Amino acid sequence: MTTPAAIQAALRGDNALPLRPADQVMNLERLGSIHQSRLSFMRTLVRRIMRERWQIEAARFDLDNQGYGTVVYEIKTPNKLYSFVLFSDYLSPEERNDRVIATKWDLTMALVDGEVDDIYLEKLRQNVPLQEAGRVDARVFVLSRANRSARNFDYVVDQLAKGEQPDVAQIAKVGYLYRTTAVYGSGKLGMADWEKVASRHADFARPFAAEMFVCLMLRNFSLLQAEHIAKHSAPDTYTPMLPEVKRFFGIGNSTGLGMAPYLINHPLLINQWVEMRELALARVRVLGNINERVKNEFSELLNRSGVHTAETVTEDEWQTDNNKQVLNDLEKIRQHTSDGIESWDSLLHWSEGNCSLQGQELLVSVMLELYPELVDDLEDYHTAEEFLDLDPVMPVSELQQVIENRYKWALDYDFSVNGAKDTFWYRSEEKMEPRLGDATEEDGKEKQMALGVAYAVRKCYDQLCEYAAENPDHSTARFMVARPKLRGIVRRIQSMNRCIYGDIQANLLDREILPMHLLRAKLAFFGVGKFDPRSKLWVRNTMFQGAPLLEDIGHTFNDDWFMPLAPTL
Amino acid sequence: MHVSMIELKAALRRCFEATGYFVGNYEDAANMILWLEKHGLNGLAELQRALPYIDKDSDKPLSTVIYEDSTSAIIDSHGRSALNSIAASVDLAHAKALETGIATVTVHNCHNRMFILKALTDCGRRGISVAAYWQNGSQTVTEHTAAIKAGERYPSYSEATTSLSVNEDDKQALTIICSSRVDLTSSLQHSKGNRNARYISAEEIALNKEHSVDFGIDIDEALWADINRIGAGVLVENSERSRMGAGGR
Repeated sequence: MTTPAAIQAALRGDNALPLRPADQVMNLERLGSIHQSRLSFMRTLVRRIMRERWQIEAARFDLDNQGYGTVVYEIKTPNKLYSFVLFSDYLSPEERNDRVIATKWDLTMALVDGEVDDIYLEKLRQNVPLQEAGRVDARVFVLSRANRSARNFDYVVDQLAKGEQPDVAQIAKVGYLYRTTAVYGSGKLGMADWEKVASRHADFARPFAAEMFVCLMLRNFSLLQAEHIAKHSAPDTYTPMLPEVKRFFGIGNSTGLGMAPYLINHPLLINQWVEMRELALARVRVLGNINERVKNEFSELLNRSGVHTAETVTEDEWQTDNNKQVLNDLEKIRQHTSDGIESWDSLLHWSEGNCSLQGQELLVSVMLELYPELVDDLEDYHTAEEFLDLDPVMPVSELQQVIENRYKWALDYDFSVNGAKDTFWYRSEEKMEPRLGDATEEDGKEKQMALGVAYAVRKCYDQLCEYAAENPDHSTARFMVARPKLRGIVRRIQSMNRCIYGDIQANLLDREILPMHLLRAKLAFFGVGKFDPRSKLWVRNTMFQGAPLLEDIGHTFNDDWFMPLAPTL
Repeated sequence: MHVSMIELKAALRRCFEATGYFVGNYEDAANMILWLEKHGLNGLAELQRALPYIDKDSDKPLSTVIYEDSTSAIIDSHGRSALNSIAASVDLAHAKALETGIATVTVHNCHNRMFILKALTDCGRRGISVAAYWQNGSQTVTEHTAAIKAGERYPSYSEATTSLSVNEDDKQALTIICSSRVDLTSSLQHSKGNRNARYISAEEIALNKEHSVDFGIDIDEALWADINRIGAGVLVENSERSRMGAGGR
């Protein structure tokens, strides 16, 4: 078990481990190339559930033969009891819409503190199915909804009703029965604030742990519901799904632009996630012993990653090319290491000259996978106190140097060139949905969200240089009294300067910006797989594919569901 | 009605952003109001009094330093609300205290000075002790003081109604004392004809916070509607083209 002091000593000072530099790691395209790893939030959640043997049972199971009704699971952890409440309602195909702006769904769900009695259940029934149009109280800490993958769901039900297993080749194409289209936590719609979850619910005191848990429960319910419907439609011929087939089902997810502002508005938190991943990598590079067992496992993981990538189906040309490139990279790595691995450090450097960014980052995830003893104890260090504090005493000359050193990437952009400020990010009056606009053709730029960090740094730097020339002895505090409009960006610059990695390095106002990189970065930290971009603005993906089932809790667990493969029946 | 703390903060941010507060200031303003409310010090009531005037500040000059030496400064806020001006004044006191050990900053012509408490708390958390004092009232004069010790998370706060006569030349002043060397505490004296005095300890303020964390915030529906109505100013009108900008098909 590590400690905050040990982590600090590994990150900074004369005994620090060799971390990859910020300019390399925080490059947006690289962040958009990272893959799930054993520090991803789904992995850390499942480890906790399995190790602590959470008891999860249905306390109420009121489903009709078509699978509509109410189900309440009770979850007993070592600390507390929670309820997962799920409402299953009929939804016509015409009403099924994955966008944030939808108003009805097949399933709606809530994760609630404590037991749910009839009165409280009724209160939830009045509000949870309405989602954004409803209100809940601070006992609830996650709200979510999901829509059926209609073709897949009906197919699986039909197969089971006929007494047959679903074809795994079909599941490999679409590895889920439901897609969740929003998972709300952290105080939205009247729910418990993150401050409450973090301080009162130790089981979910890691970022997005409760949200991930709801998706895991949804995945398990989706399998149970399909079996339930099949069983009632053909009791004589029905056969349950084989556990290994069930495990290959995950839960689908559609993620749109909403995640992008989150990454920019929580820079200290994102920095923390990156620091932990990079620290894990540095530990492996320096401390990872390479023996026969590790070599065999490495080879197996490369093969598995290849098959998993080959099994990933997407119509998106860009992602298809990426996947092909990853397959080429894996082959190159295999050949390069066929005579042995000199060291992880040298292999990583070799990959930087010979593999695509996606290939390099897949190698990183595989390296982390090999050393749970060097990696897993960092899972408890993914939260951050998010204070963007001003350093009022910093001389203006030092502030100039900080910008020149830490934000050289921002100063390198030429904002006078055509297209450099053409994109604007805004909130629509329609459910406050985050959207992208083209400033050359659309109205609304004056209402844009403050996501153009690079441009804000540029403007700040120019004004600061002018001010410092006239007032070389002034402090930042004095500069702030004179230039209060720069308060936000100065506070950010100084705060991110205290971090190892700092801000994401990209001009989000550029006409050519690819929001997909931002979405993918966050989703990789969550632990999703099977990226299937539907445009440059939203992506389908699969969560928890290969994860243990509820019925696996309490049995052997080897935490080995990285890059899951279709089972062989 | 019941809202979570983050909902209130997000709505307030939109409200101040729509009012023309700049980046950094609208977060400060939202945090200042939320902080008071969350800690049982009636931030929403204070906001309700300020709300009719919040869009007036954009016409006023920015704060100016009218006197400064190494241990003190006088800042004129030109009738601005503390919501958009006080944080910078506290920062200046903070910087001077770090350089000289103890510093005083006096702010003139500043409204809604109760909102300084969040800025004081930030100083305490960061190892600086601060005390503040101000008087208020156009008919009956009230006086107020708050202080936080270095390294603490919660300040104490005192207020009282005085028998002082209203000063026609009231400068809407606020005095900030800040120290990196001395732990400052403050409470109002009882010898000046004070009435309705109340002292809220740092411990009580901490307890109030626990309640808000557990249950969220209750807010008057009309005020909530007002905040959201003003905040809707940051939203862009919906259109088919706009829907494409969300990736819709």
